[in-house]
Order: sequence, then structure tokens, then C-alpha cells
Amino acid sequence: MNLATAAPESVTRPTPPRRSRSELVVDGFVVAAVVAVVVVGLSTERFATLANARAIITSASLVGIAALGLTLIMIGGSAVSLAISQTVAASGMVFLSAQSLGLVPALALAVVVGTAVTGLQGAVVGYAAANPVVLTIAASFAIAGVATGVTGGVSVSPSARGYDHLNATPGGVALSAYVLVVLTLTVEWVLRRTAFGRSLYMVGENRVAARAAGMPVGRTTTAAWLGAGALFAVTAAFTAAFNAAANVNLGGTLTFDAIAAVLAGGTPISGGRGSALRTLAGALLIAAVSDILLLRGYSTGVQVMVKGLLVAAVVVLVHLRTQERHP
Amino acid sequence: MQQRLTPGQSGPSTRTGVDLVRVEGLTKSYGSTRAVRDASFAIAAGEIHALCGHNGAGKSTVVKMLSGQESPDGGTISIAGEVVDLRSRQVAQRHGVSLVDQELSVVPALTVAENLVLGDVRTPWVAPARRSTARLRSLLDGVGLDHLRLGLPLADLGIGERQLIEVARALGQDARLVILDEPTATLSDVESEYVYASVRKVAAAGCAVLFVSHRLGEVLALCDRVTVMRDGGVVATTPAGELSIDSLIHQMLGEAPALPDRRVRTRENAVIVLDVEALTVPGRVEDFALEGRAGGVYAVAGQLGSGASDVLRAVAGLVPDADLSLRVDGAPARIAGRPGAAARAGIAFVSNDRKAEGLFLDKPISWNLLATRLGALAPRGVVSRRRWTSALARLLELCGLDPERAGHAVGSLSGGNQQKVFVGRCLDREDVRVVVLDEPTRGVDVGGRAAIHRLLRDAADRGVVVLFSSTELEELQDLADVVITMHKGRVVGTHRGDTAGAVLLREMTHGRTEDEVLPAGSMDGRAR
Repeated sequence: MNLATAAPESVTRPTPPRRSRSELVVDGFVVAAVVAVVVVGLSTERFATLANARAIITSASLVGIAALGLTLIMIGGSAVSLAISQTVAASGMVFLSAQSLGLVPALALAVVVGTAVTGLQGAVVGYAAANPVVLTIAASFAIAGVATGVTGGVSVSPSARGYDHLNATPGGVALSAYVLVVLTLTVEWVLRRTAFGRSLYMVGENRVAARAAGMPVGRTTTAAWLGAGALFAVTAAFTAAFNAAANVNLGGTLTFDAIAAVLAGGTPISGGRGSALRTLAGALLIAAVSDILLLRGYSTGVQVMVKGLLVAAVVVLVHLRTQERHP
Repeated sequence: MQQRLTPGQSGPSTRTGVDLVRVEGLTKSYGSTRAVRDASFAIAAGEIHALCGHNGAGKSTVVKMLSGQESPDGGTISIAGEVVDLRSRQVAQRHGVSLVDQELSVVPALTVAENLVLGDVRTPWVAPARRSTARLRSLLDGVGLDHLRLGLPLADLGIGERQLIEVARALGQDARLVILDEPTATLSDVESEYVYASVRKVAAAGCAVLFVSHRLGEVLALCDRVTVMRDGGVVATTPAGELSIDSLIHQMLGEAPALPDRRVRTRENAVIVLDVEALTVPGRVEDFALEGRAGGVYAVAGQLGSGASDVLRAVAGLVPDADLSLRVDGAPARIAGRPGAAARAGIAFVSNDRKAEGLFLDKPISWNLLATRLGALAPRGVVSRRRWTSALARLLELCGLDPERAGHAVGSLSGGNQQKVFVGRCLDREDVRVVVLDEPTRGVDVGGRAAIHRLLRDAADRGVVVLFSSTELEELQDLADVVITMHKGRVVGTHRGDTAGAVLLREMTHGRTEDEVLPAGSMDGRAR
């Protein structure tokens, strides 16, 4: 039933395009694939249970929140940030070490750190047109270096127990899952209804044209990265709270998990298109497929490999659809 | 005359019949819009066949279907009597169709030689350099580029030369059908002559040539027969000898085009809105000045490389190394290299490169029209549906665009309608005092051109300054109150819009002659 939310019906796009015959073929393929996943899912023991649904959305939630941030970056035409894991680690360390101030101030502080660090990269990309891939690789080393230097390489332990509120599971579902849903709807609203959102789509599609039109390219790009930084910090707080400790490896493989979720949702890396709902669908799809493989007893290696194939398949399909629309 | 060509005369590529390429009942729809319906025409071997029509008549779609970029919904294309399915550019090329695109598709980072073999399906993975050099050399010579070295990077070439490279590339593909989609739109007269010569040579070798152009004079002079399209259908195919410019326009529009009134007014009393002084762009423009008065339409006329385009780009804030003093409504603005600052000062810019520097092709018409006024439509950052809808309705009506299609991607419109969206984006805005347009009707047909001229005229009547560049005399004379001619980076003369075309053309192509007191002086209405 989680898969139902991952179906393309729930995926909205900013422009309702007319559908050509070949688009319908691609759509048909997607529907068939989703039906296949549903059938495999339903025929998998213990998949269609409430407990398993909770497990899926919980496992999707942390990656999902970070992926929402990356969605803003990708729609804005800045491709990717490769410094997500390191930003999450740094923000998570700040969050735990500031626990003595109370939960909310610690959270605020983590968000400030994540926003500042990521927003700074965004400003360089937006105003100076730096290559985001190169810049964020450099930034990831810088952040990790500073974090290691400050902590002396040891794990940060929480200075108070306030963080544990983030591990709450109201209704048997992790708090982070509720936060993911609320943040998805918020980001979607911002993208659709605000001047910033519409500018972001246009800057992402054609930065040169936006600049020539006198649109605030630098400001829009920076704003997208600032928002992304805040979302990374929210992921950081939940991750740090869950682990009750934070070191430079707190982010783990989050950078690539988030990229995979955004791409699996069908947001193209070239910018100008995509949505928060798509990213939610992508995160849930990956979580559900991993879950099926886990329940069927496949090894971690197979899960990771299937995740890769899934992303590749979606990217190809998105590319085919785009080609159809704009030959 | 072409109909009587025998296979023997028309070269080895034809086997039977006189028609090498035959299009029958071709139909293509985009959503509910029928771009082409039931179009039929034929091109004989050795014939130069023109395809004419105004905005959205379906020419581009026919070209796309013939070159393998779009699949027809119905109808057939046959080449040498064989019905072909042109699924892609590659397949089309294997069937002997080569295309010189409306938009440049050469790669600046590569060399001349590399661009010449780019996209040629017959290029082997490993090519013996010496044999190909001779072939490429002869291709270049054929389009009058004998002075170019093959190893020269394309980035060093002007836009006209790049277009000629593209023509040479298409001609080098041993095609049976060569399609030229407005090949001369960006070329100077001399460069155009080389294109005509190459086209004649290719046709003489037995190739069928489809020539799409808005320059009706060149169509009549160059082509054997003319197929005119209107509203997606074929109106008629007529031997060029039986047509005149007027009858051709009549076929294209279905009626005589309504040209805007030519109003030559004195605006000496109007307030100065745009004041540009001492505009210099190193190596491009020297000491350009302009006083733009409210309600005036000003043209900077010059061929490619004259600096006309650079003046406009500098005024739009797109030239970082420009040195200028600029005031809008008396307020000085520092805009060099800061297009955002120029926009805030009240200057809106329409680039001559609609694709790369203009529209957001993937986005709906509505978004494109309203892109530059989001601030006014979004109080406190949230887009107001009411303001959005009413602003959109006003603009669609102003530009004469179909409200039904407001949600369609702008890339699905014809070139002329895209240009209306691009121009419309700058209109009906309180904050815009100056509209700057670099070749506002480049690649736009007669009807669309008249519509865009009317839009600009109306905008001027509401008190903004319109500043545009153009190389076309008709446009300069129809639209401009004041024409400033430029040659090699310098202003040659300043004229009223009623100056004889011959004078403008001479100044644009030759600059100021030494003995300028002679005939030129008696004909122009020089303001200063």
C-alpha cells in the first residue's frame, strides 16, 4: 500500500503536457513496472502488513528529508551537492553537543550550521557560477576536516537527554516520518505557489536566459541551497538522536542515497523540472523495493545492486519521455 | 521546366520519374493542435523548391518530419519512388536527407574540419587524415570560405561564417535532398550570395533542394517552384516565374498584409527617458551616444560585426567590459555586466538568440510571459492566483495568442509565436521604461513581423522607449522613428525613419564615404 503512493499517478509536474503515443508507451511501461512491484510485494510474506508499512516509511524518512533538500538544488539547475553526508555529520555533532541548551535551541543551532555551510556553497554557485560538483567535493573535505579537528576525532556524546524526544514513535510510526510528510507538503507548496519556486524552475531550466531577463539568478540559487541546508540539518538531528552519538561518519552513504531517491522520483539532474512529491515517491519506492528484497532473504549486496538498477531504469525512462516531448 | 528533366540529365541518384521527393497527405498534431494537415507536394531532382508561409503555417513541422526529427501522424514521404520511414536524423541522413538548421548546430570548441564531419553517419571511426583534408578543402571553397584554415577553432569565426560552415557540412553529405531552413537569416548579402551559389551547384548536380525562407525576394530569384503553406495546409505550388512578391504574400496571408501606419513624428519636446553617453566596448564599439525620448522608436542599423548588437547588449547590462554612462528617467545606473541592475533600472531585453538566451522552452507560455514580473504578481512572495490570471489574460490578448494554449510548453509554438511571447514578456509592465530588442523579428514571417511591429509601436505610444537593431531596410523604415547606422563599431549617421533605403544600406555596408556631401546628403533627413 505504500507502493500506491509511489505510483506515477501521485507524481505531479509543474506543467500538464499533452501526451503523445510514445509517451503513453513509456507511461505504460512505468505502470506495468509498478504493478509488477506491487504483485511481487503482495506475494511476499509479511510485506502487506501495517508493521511493514511503518518500517518502510521509517526507513525512507531520513533519506527522504535530505533528498527534499537535494530536490531544491537539482530543480535549480545546480545538479547535486556531494557534501550532504559531511554537512549532516557536522550539524549532527553540533546538535548533540548543544543538548545542554535544550532541545529546541540545539535544533535551531544545528539548522543554522547546516544552512550557513550549505548556503555559502550555494552563493558561490549562484553568484560566481562555480561548478557545484567540484565545489561540493572540496566542501565535503573542508567540512569533514574542520569537524575532525574540532572534536579531535572522537565521537560527540549528547550533553543532555532532550534529543530523545526525536526518537518518539507516535502511533507506532517514527516522528521523522511525520516530519517527512509535513516537509514534503511544505516544499511542494513553496515550489508551486511562491515566486521563488517558479523562478527556481526557470533558473534551473535556462540560467543564461534567466540572467538575460534580469531575474535574480544568484539570489534564487542561494535561497535554494539555504533551504537545502536547513533540510540537511533536520536529517542530521534525527540521525544523531537515533544514534545518540555523532562523529564525522554520521552521514554514512546519505549523499548517494539522497541522490538516488531524487533520481528514482524522476527528477532530471539537468534541472528545471521535478517536485517534492516525486522525491517522496522515489524515497518510498527505494525503501519498498529494499524491504521486499530483505523479506525475501536477499543479501545487502543484492539490495544495493537493485537500488542502482532502479535508479538507472528511472533515469532512462525520464530521459525517453523528455526526448519525446522535445525532439 | 524542371518537370521535363529526364533521368539522364538529373544525375545518377534518380532512377525513375521526375519527382525525387514526394510528400503525400502529411499530417501532424501536437495535442489538439493540428500543426500540419494533409500536406502534399513534390520536389524534382535538380529543382530548388521553396517552402513559404507565415507564423505557425507548418513549415518547420514539415521540415522536422522530412529530416527525421518528428514522425508524421499520417501520410507518406517517398524518396526516389520508395516510401521511407524517417525515424531519426541518422535514418534520414542514410536516406540522403541533409538539413541546414534554422538554429546553428555547429560546435564552437571544435575545429572547422571537425565541424564539417560532425554528425556525418558515413564518417569511419578512424579516418585517414590526408584523403579527407582534400575533400573538406573543396567543401569550404564551395561556400566561399577558401581563406579559412581547417584547423581553426570555430570559436574564432563570426556567426555568418559559422552558418556557411553548416551549409558546407550539409552539402558534403552527398545528399539527395538538401533542406535549408532559413540559411541566410543571419548572413550578410555577400555571404548569402555564397549560399545561393552553393545551392545552385548542388541542384545542378541532380539533388533536390528544399529552401525555407522569409526573404521573399531571394525565394523568387533563387527557386524554381514555390509551395506556400497556411494554417497547416498547402495553399499552392506555383512556378516562381509566375509569382510576384505581392502575389506570394497574398498566398501566404490570404489577404493583403496590413502594414502599420508609418508615423514620422517629431519628438523633440518629449522627455528624455534613456540617456546613453560615451558607450565603448573595447574592440567592438566606439563612443556611441543616444538620447531616447518617451514614445520614440530608435533603431541601430548595422550588419553583423558593425557593433549594433553590442550596443544593445551593453545597454541591457550583458557586456562586462562595456564602459558607458547611462541614465533612465534621469537616474544614473551602473549596469555594465549586471543585467539584474539594468532590469531594475527599467530596461527589458529581447535577445537575438531566443533559444539560448530567451525563453524557457520547456515551461508553459504563461510562465514565460510572466517570468519577469513575478514580484508584482506575488505579494509577500506567494503568487496571487487572481493577479496571475488577470495579468496573463491581458498579455495573451495583447500579443494575440490563443488562451487555450497558455498551458502548453512554449517550445511547441512556431518560431513567430515564440517571438511574440518573448516580446510580450517586456510589455504592459509599469516598471519597464526601455525595451531593447536585438533583431526583434529574426526568422519571423511577414504576418508575425507586422504583429510584433504593432506591439512595439503601441508600447512606444504608451511612453516607453523602444530601441532595436536590425539589418533589414523594410523593418527599419516601417518601425523606426530614428535610425542610427553603424559600421565597424562607429556611428555613421542618424536619420529619420523616412530616409531612403539606399542611403541606409550604403552607410551600413560601406560606412561614411569621403565625399558624403554628394547625393547621400540630399536624400537623408539627418537629424544632427
